[in-house]
Amino acid sequence: MENIQYINEDLWPGYLGHFAIVTSFVAALLAAVAYFMATQKRNEPESDSWRRIGRWAFGTHGLATFFVIGLIFYLMIYKQYEYQYVWQHVSDELPFRYIFAAFWEGQEGSFLLWMFWHVVLGAMLIFTAKKWETSTLATLSLIQVVIASMLLGVYLGWGDDPTKVGSNPLLLLRYTMDIPLFKNAEYLKLIKGNGLNPSLQNYWMVIHPPTLFLGFASTSIPFVFAIAGLWLRQHTEWMKPALSWALFSGAILGTGILMGGAWAYEALNFGGYWAWDPVENMSLVPWIILIAGIHTNLVARSTGQSIRSTYMFYLLSFLMVIYSTFLTRSGVLGDTSVHAFTNMGLGWQLVAFLGLFLLMSILLMAVRYREIPTPAKEEALASKEFWIFFGSLVFLFSAILIAGSTSLPVFNKIMQYFDPTYKGRVITEAVEHYNKYQVYIAFFIGLFSGFAQYLRWKEPNWKANIRAFLTHSGAALVLACGLSYLTSLWIEMKIWQHWLVLISAYFTVIANLDYLIFVARGNMKLAGSAFSHFGFGVMIVGILASGVNKKIISSNPFMMEGLIEGADEMTARKNILLFKDAPMEMNGYLVTYLTDTLDGLNRTFTVNFQRKDKQGKTVETFDLYPNILYDKSYTKIAASNPSTEHYWHKDIFVHIPSLPEVEQNFELKKQKEDSLKYKPVTLALGQVTPFADALKMGNQDSISNFNYQITMESVDLQPKHKDYNPEAGDKAFGVKLKVQRNDDDRIFFVEPVIVLREQLVYTYSSQIDPLSAKIRLNQEAIPQVFSFEQELNYQTLELGVGANKKWNDLNVTFNGFDRQPKHPDLQLQNGDLAVGAKLDIRTGDGKTYQAEPVFLIRDGQPGNLKVEVPELGLHLRFALLSPKTESIQLLLAKSTPKGQNITVEVASDSLRSDYIVLEAILFPGINLFWAGSLLMMIGLAFSMFQRLRSKLSAQSA
Amino acid sequence: MKKIYVVAIIMIAVAISLIVNAANDMSTYSTFSEAGSISHKVKIAGKLAKDKPMVYNPEKDPNHFSFFIRDTKGEEHKVVLLKAKPQDFELSEQIVVTGKMKGKEFIATDLLMKCPSKYKDEEVYIKGEEKKG
Repeated sequence: MENIQYINEDLWPGYLGHFAIVTSFVAALLAAVAYFMATQKRNEPESDSWRRIGRWAFGTHGLATFFVIGLIFYLMIYKQYEYQYVWQHVSDELPFRYIFAAFWEGQEGSFLLWMFWHVVLGAMLIFTAKKWETSTLATLSLIQVVIASMLLGVYLGWGDDPTKVGSNPLLLLRYTMDIPLFKNAEYLKLIKGNGLNPSLQNYWMVIHPPTLFLGFASTSIPFVFAIAGLWLRQHTEWMKPALSWALFSGAILGTGILMGGAWAYEALNFGGYWAWDPVENMSLVPWIILIAGIHTNLVARSTGQSIRSTYMFYLLSFLMVIYSTFLTRSGVLGDTSVHAFTNMGLGWQLVAFLGLFLLMSILLMAVRYREIPTPAKEEALASKEFWIFFGSLVFLFSAILIAGSTSLPVFNKIMQYFDPTYKGRVITEAVEHYNKYQVYIAFFIGLFSGFAQYLRWKEPNWKANIRAFLTHSGAALVLACGLSYLTSLWIEMKIWQHWLVLISAYFTVIANLDYLIFVARGNMKLAGSAFSHFGFGVMIVGILASGVNKKIISSNPFMMEGLIEGADEMTARKNILLFKDAPMEMNGYLVTYLTDTLDGLNRTFTVNFQRKDKQGKTVETFDLYPNILYDKSYTKIAASNPSTEHYWHKDIFVHIPSLPEVEQNFELKKQKEDSLKYKPVTLALGQVTPFADALKMGNQDSISNFNYQITMESVDLQPKHKDYNPEAGDKAFGVKLKVQRNDDDRIFFVEPVIVLREQLVYTYSSQIDPLSAKIRLNQEAIPQVFSFEQELNYQTLELGVGANKKWNDLNVTFNGFDRQPKHPDLQLQNGDLAVGAKLDIRTGDGKTYQAEPVFLIRDGQPGNLKVEVPELGLHLRFALLSPKTESIQLLLAKSTPKGQNITVEVASDSLRSDYIVLEAILFPGINLFWAGSLLMMIGLAFSMFQRLRSKLSAQSA
Repeated sequence: MKKIYVVAIIMIAVAISLIVNAANDMSTYSTFSEAGSISHKVKIAGKLAKDKPMVYNPEKDPNHFSFFIRDTKGEEHKVVLLKAKPQDFELSEQIVVTGKMKGKEFIATDLLMKCPSKYKDEEVYIKGEEKKG
């Protein structure tokens, strides 16, 4: 690019920010080295000074990271579009509350968010981890080095094709693309921001990413403890602090995943909370493995078994987080995911990230494997630890199945690397595929988490326990079967596997309730697990209800009657056409599309649901407000937002997948409007006029004839029209028409309106949607109705204050002067003298109208401002004022609305646009899913707090 | 032998059988000519034939959107998607449809499309609504 002196560019934040990124990277590296040395020399005096360096370096790293984040926020708030990241994610219109969402919309921002949490967690470790500080911070700092390298934005190597390391979030826009715009030194004045994707402009985008990333970041803490345990050969000690962190991580990551589900359900339109999308799957997999780790960790702390597997689970959980980062950010998922990031060319760096920590884990594990203690005596078959371990294997199994299927694109890539002709495979029906296998996982987890509560650690005497075990679990099983039967009256079990899952879910619900009340008996340390398992069971029942039994109620009623073939195709048809004000029956509800309002880019539709009892009395009614968001130019729909009615036992969810073409694109609407073929027809008051129109249909040569009967019933001088907002001074009228098309027995009443406002004519046409016809008034009709000034024949009338006189059939009373008169055409200037005459005009049939004509002296010249009584066709002027006698002279004239021959224009080719395409879904029992899964997270958090409390009380004792 | 090993062996056996089973859920991207000869659902990847008509007339059927795509072999067929017309459909670069052949038409129950990302087309919005590339 040539040397151009750009105007108004602010370059120092870029330099400063890049400097801070490099500082953050280097300081993290220094911290890693220093903490490594501090750990290696832990028994020597110099360890302390290494640790001091480590702390300083980590502190510097943290400050530099925060500085970069703050700087980007600063640039975003001040809309400095010279920076590519700012330009891409912010726009002038973006509300301030979405500035956070804009920050982490991009990859660089989300890397920074991830680093932010690592810094916070690292600081917590520095303050609380005591003897574990140096060893854990060494690994954590190394993780930070790798993530910071993603933001470096430097090129390594020589020649034409150097390797890009990281992507600098503070790059100037003009470096990122080569377009003629940047030849203009003042380009900044011209550009505006791209802005946050409209479908991401909601509060979920503000709260979901930070929670999820805290979840991801926190999986690294059990990981660094595991590494530290292997490194320092302290194979049992590390597990105590790791467990609390793992519980924390499990609760937060789980909440983050749930928030994603809630977001998808509340604001996106695929109709559900889980779609087995690769991005969803790969956030679930680390969580499942972490939960497996928590369970084996408990086993290890109680019995000394399963230490090796605890190591492996915690290591694997974080490795899966990195793998998931690779999958979603390297572009490898390609077209299999709807919400992966776009490829930034960092693929190799992400592979290196994964490779580094994978290698580190494998090597350490291999070197230390034999020395990790295992008890000589193996677990008893009837012991708690055996079944918990078995359960953990089931978790691992679930994770492998999910991760394996999700990795299919990676497998394809690898195969194609060796064999370029290899044809990549895809999962044909993803949802069915995942559900098919996870059904068994749910069954086993439900079963184990139920009866394991009745088993004892290390079972010393099974014979003594067997009776209690059999009574409790037997009773729980019987109750579970009963509850399952009752549930099947409410929701349908579609395959036998669902029965198994339902029974096992109720089994764990009852067993854990039993355990909480009769076994744990207020022992809060044991309560957390009971909460979580209870919640798991409730969640599974919720999934069977709301997921398996979700019902699309907007299916076409004709199809229900079997008029359209193909059962498989039937289930695919989800949408229904809903005409305005024409109720449709859906699952016992009468559904009516009532109105819509446009507010800025947002168009909200009101859809009413009503249920009636046998007597026809409305027993339930509610409105839903699905809306769509137009793009900036109103030429397409940028986002469609659903609306949901929540009940305690069900949800009714609607969204709008499509609108009439002309309602999606206002430009097209205008074009269509302009191209309508209007044909004139002259009507006489009170008479039926036939009107025929012939139209070419479609692209065939067929011609359709339309024959109408139009009756002009009256001329309305106070017209109403949905688009017309009356203003003072308007001259407006409408004609009331009765319209019938000969091939249709319905009669339509419409009133097109025409308005004369300050020399401009506004036409408000009437659409008869069921006939696809449009009628408007012809401009030539105006003089037919309104007589013009020059045609008026004014007569004078003199009146004193309080006097009344007859004029034709009207009685006019002069009630006095108004010193501060108001008139639409009156704009007072300095030196004006204006006075109004308050008049009452009574008609022969006793109606009274009020009018106030105005007399005005401006620049010494007398003048007046006319008023009209449109209902009477009366024109009034205040012509003269005699101050001595306090009498006034009025000019009166009457014009009769003629309305004899009024020309209207009819277009028979106006396609109807008064409908919405609607999808409506009934989710039974969805609150069971939310409540159950939330309870699971609360149980995890509760266990963590119990552990922290006992740790604190142990310290103070 | 330790019981845990027994468990592990059983699980591995189950895993292998599941994976063999799971292969049935997977398929390669098919072509129209292949799809014509099989009865189960397939996925076809192709490009939208932009010169052929795209018809979505919700007044007639809100679940019927027809268009033509050209598969990887260059064969062109009419596809009927049993859904509403997706937004930005005209902009799609690549389309993947899931479904079956029915006579000469491909009846699709699902559609995935790859659109040029909002950011990749590198449009710089100029103030005052006009665009400049």
